[in-house]
Amino acid sequence: MSEYLKPLPEPSIDSQPFWDGLKEGRLLLQTCSDCGTVRHYPRPMCEKCQSMECHWTEATGRGQLYTWTETHHPFHFGFKGELPYILATVELDEGVRIQTQLLGGAKVGDLRVGTPIEVVLDRATDEWVLPYVRLVK
Amino acid sequence: MTLSSVSDIDASQPKHLADKYAIAGIGETAYLRGSNRTTRSMATEAISKAMADAGMKASDVDGMLSYSSGDSTFSPFIAGDLGIRLNFYMDVFGGGSSTEALIGIAIGVIEAGMCKTVAIFRSMNGFSQVRIGGTGARSAVPVKGDEMHSRAYGWQAAGQMFAPTFMRHMYDYGTTPEQVAMVKVTHSQHAARNPKAYYKTPVTVDDVLSSRFIVKPLHLLDCCVETDNANCLIITRAERARDHADRPQALIRSVVGRACKPRIDMHYQHGPISTVAGHYAKEILWPNAGLGPEDVDVTGAYDAFTFTSMLQLEDYGFCKKGEGGDYVSNGTIRLGGKRPNNTAGGHLCEGYTHGINMVIENVRQLRGEVDDTCPIGPDGKRIHTHDYSDSGTCRAVKDVNVTANLGWAMPGTGSAMVMVKG
Ligand SMILES: [Zn+2]
Repeated sequence: MSEYLKPLPEPSIDSQPFWDGLKEGRLLLQTCSDCGTVRHYPRPMCEKCQSMECHWTEATGRGQLYTWTETHHPFHFGFKGELPYILATVELDEGVRIQTQLLGGAKVGDLRVGTPIEVVLDRATDEWVLPYVRLVK
Repeated sequence: MTLSSVSDIDASQPKHLADKYAIAGIGETAYLRGSNRTTRSMATEAISKAMADAGMKASDVDGMLSYSSGDSTFSPFIAGDLGIRLNFYMDVFGGGSSTEALIGIAIGVIEAGMCKTVAIFRSMNGFSQVRIGGTGARSAVPVKGDEMHSRAYGWQAAGQMFAPTFMRHMYDYGTTPEQVAMVKVTHSQHAARNPKAYYKTPVTVDDVLSSRFIVKPLHLLDCCVETDNANCLIITRAERARDHADRPQALIRSVVGRACKPRIDMHYQHGPISTVAGHYAKEILWPNAGLGPEDVDVTGAYDAFTFTSMLQLEDYGFCKKGEGGDYVSNGTIRLGGKRPNNTAGGHLCEGYTHGINMVIENVRQLRGEVDDTCPIGPDGKRIHTHDYSDSGTCRAVKDVNVTANLGWAMPGTGSAMVMVKG
């Protein structure tokens, strides 16, 4: 594998299970053990009931496009080779939104709010698997 | 226009401070790309100029506030260089939207009896040292940890973080790139009357739309300029300001600082993404001012990007929700229009100082001391022609009584201030 030049995650005690889940091929969402509210990205407390108890539930990996942009400028050298690329904010069926990159060669002009998407997991390095999205075929 | 009487205001509310404080002094260094100076050097110059403008000497200033993201010089060092002995200082983390927030803090600190006069400054080599735009070796220091939940996929720069809000606004309300390009066009026409402006050449809508995409839908000319400069404001009680300088004063009527959407680290999780913090901030700004958007003569809506001015003008109520595209393109915000915005050219054209230069410009407008190139009369004062035609040199707005500054940190955080002439 050639040298990986993009920034890599920095797990915290709060987010470690999320990153570990990706390595096992699962998108895990943090879920409040007291009131059941799903939250993302991982953090210590449920903002609905202030509980610090949580468990992890596997997401369906389905959702809808909420908003997007297309980057044309190399803000980071690691992404230079893939310009232009689409950044998407996606609302997962579980009700939380994630910010990631939309893969699969979609044309920005074809995108609509509500367009169905699915999560795809991509191996970045030996150590890291990262979640991206693509349009549902 | 008539102002509502301050004596009507309920003194049990924060409103009792309305018009009690003034921006007594303003100071700027040149807006440059490549200052060849330290932030310490620029800050001391800007503060020294603001003190001279206020008619104050070192012993008249005893408080200092600054903001930066670790790219400035600690305020007590700068105070010492100016011969100022401090009774209060604080250096806070932050960029855009800090100015108005710190003005509110300065009022509170003076009101608490901790000091009597506060110099607020921002000094930054925003081009030659730390570039907020996040490009190349001088890019802003990488944010780590939880930011990596988006950074690993290519989210990094402010344009990438903010543009999804604009994209959704276009989608929801039919706002067009042509409409927001008019913000740049208008500010460039204003900057052409500002000898200090970094970019002084007027541009057209076509120029904006034919410039290269940075983050679609944003073009290069939708993005502000990065410059090296320092700005200073001196805050004190209105009567003290008058004791030191005999001129119309820019009085602080109402201020709101760093008001937030339900959360800012992931503001996109809550509510419509096309709504920005001004939606909440206006509920403090206007009631405390006893005024509304319709009373304002000149605005300073933060233009990190063309659309940030639009989103704020809309959410502070200068037009109906969704009609910001029309508001910024129908002639209202240009000189000669009903309510000009960023008459010095703003961050898009004059220079980039995280909002403080937009406050300086509104102070000049309220005082009637705009530094354009209109002729100087025998009394040494500028004779403003109010000729806003293409060949005109004037950027002074006639009869300015009320101004509003709308500061932007990001979609989730904003600050604002209403000033009145007094
Ligand atoms: Zn809960």
